[in-house]
Amino acid sequence: MGKKIARMLVLCMAISLIAGGATCLAKDKVYINGIDANFPPFAYVDKNGVPDGFDVKSVDWIAKKMGFKVTHKPMDWDGIIPSLRARKIDMVASGMSITDKRKEQVNFTIPYWKIAQVIVAPKGCTRSVDQLLSNGNKVGVQRGTTEAKWMKDNLIAKGKDFVLVEYDSAPLAVEDVLNGRIVGAAMDDAPAKDAMRKKPVKIIGGFGMASEDFGYAVRKEDTELLKMMNEGLKQLMASPYWEELKEKYKP
Amino acid sequence: MESLIVLYGALPYILRGSLVTIAVVAGAMMLGLAVGICLAVGQVYGGRWLRRLIAVYVWFFRGVPLLVLLFLFYFGLCSLLQINLSAFTVSVIVLGLISSAYQSQIFRGSIMSLPEGQLKAARALGMSDRKAIPLIILPQALRLSIPGWSNEYSIVLKDSAVAYALGVMEMMARAHFVASRTYEHLPLYFAAGFIFMILTYLGTKGLRILEEKARIPGYSS
Repeated sequence: MGKKIARMLVLCMAISLIAGGATCLAKDKVYINGIDANFPPFAYVDKNGVPDGFDVKSVDWIAKKMGFKVTHKPMDWDGIIPSLRARKIDMVASGMSITDKRKEQVNFTIPYWKIAQVIVAPKGCTRSVDQLLSNGNKVGVQRGTTEAKWMKDNLIAKGKDFVLVEYDSAPLAVEDVLNGRIVGAAMDDAPAKDAMRKKPVKIIGGFGMASEDFGYAVRKEDTELLKMMNEGLKQLMASPYWEELKEKYKP
Repeated sequence: MESLIVLYGALPYILRGSLVTIAVVAGAMMLGLAVGICLAVGQVYGGRWLRRLIAVYVWFFRGVPLLVLLFLFYFGLCSLLQINLSAFTVSVIVLGLISSAYQSQIFRGSIMSLPEGQLKAARALGMSDRKAIPLIILPQALRLSIPGWSNEYSIVLKDSAVAYALGVMEMMARAHFVASRTYEHLPLYFAAGFIFMILTYLGTKGLRILEEKARIPGYSS
């Protein structure tokens, strides 16, 4: 019995070592792009579990053009910048808004997409944005996003009478809009349009937040990678493939 | 109907996640077993300082929430020590260390429930404690521990779902990703929950069989 247990133990440790070691070895050649796979149409996983989306396909194109290899690693949005700084991933191309706060921690490429923030509500809703954001109504938002921070700092702190409910992802907030637990959800317009195509919700309108730019994030010290991504983005945005991507994913 | 089609299409992807779940749980349970046995023996037969040290270890790993420990190890300790462990490895280690704290108490209870005469008789036959504990005490104690251990298995199995916060592609993470793409949250979470139930059943059933097989007929303590 003792021997058997010992043998199983050794096997287990070997497996976990190989699993750990494999990712270490791969690190030298292949860049890892961390994505929030709960962010369609920019990043998600397709039917077969393969990462897909506007940002995923963009990075694939850039990688091919600039001659490096890249894999996409789905992960939780909350931990994505810590993961980048802890070298678990090498870049974040997953609909990340460029902000001053984030710039203190990471470097951003040139902006590649302009995004507006909107409120989504059930299809039959006749209330305006101002009516939704009052009366102590509950409004959903994804935790750790720029819109969550902005709403706290600029609406709630200035006396707007509504309650912000935070979710793990925007689709979960939409789900709760349909459940009736919240009257509406604040999110980027691209995933909002995606939600409209799939569920009986509609975009009510903006709530006063200025539009933002998406960029790819890399570590401060990786200046070579930043240069390469910037160059790749410029080429991509000038190529016909950029229009194809827009057509395909309708962000 | 549409949700059934989504579910059917996503099932292979989620089921592949169950392999990841099984690997995490198996690794964690084995690590917990190895460390847990050592802790239990140390706590029962060790000196005063060793016992105190183990008590602090058990207190720490039983006292800090799993999610806190995962973040602490993955983002904190790994960058502090300049080691880059994968999310999978960190999940196995953290779940294993937590489980070792719980398992040590299962084994300690079993060891204490053995009649004192067992160790005394072994000593009377000229066995050293170093020999008597692995050869006389542990084989009996481990048999008694199987019911408690299967309880621990079902807890670790469900705790493993939290590893999705680190980006381990286990069942929960996969169900969540598919739900984000398709907006079919309910059937997907239901499917993930159902697979967890099946895994719990299979594991506890297997341990039940092991318990029967390992039983010594006619032996009672």
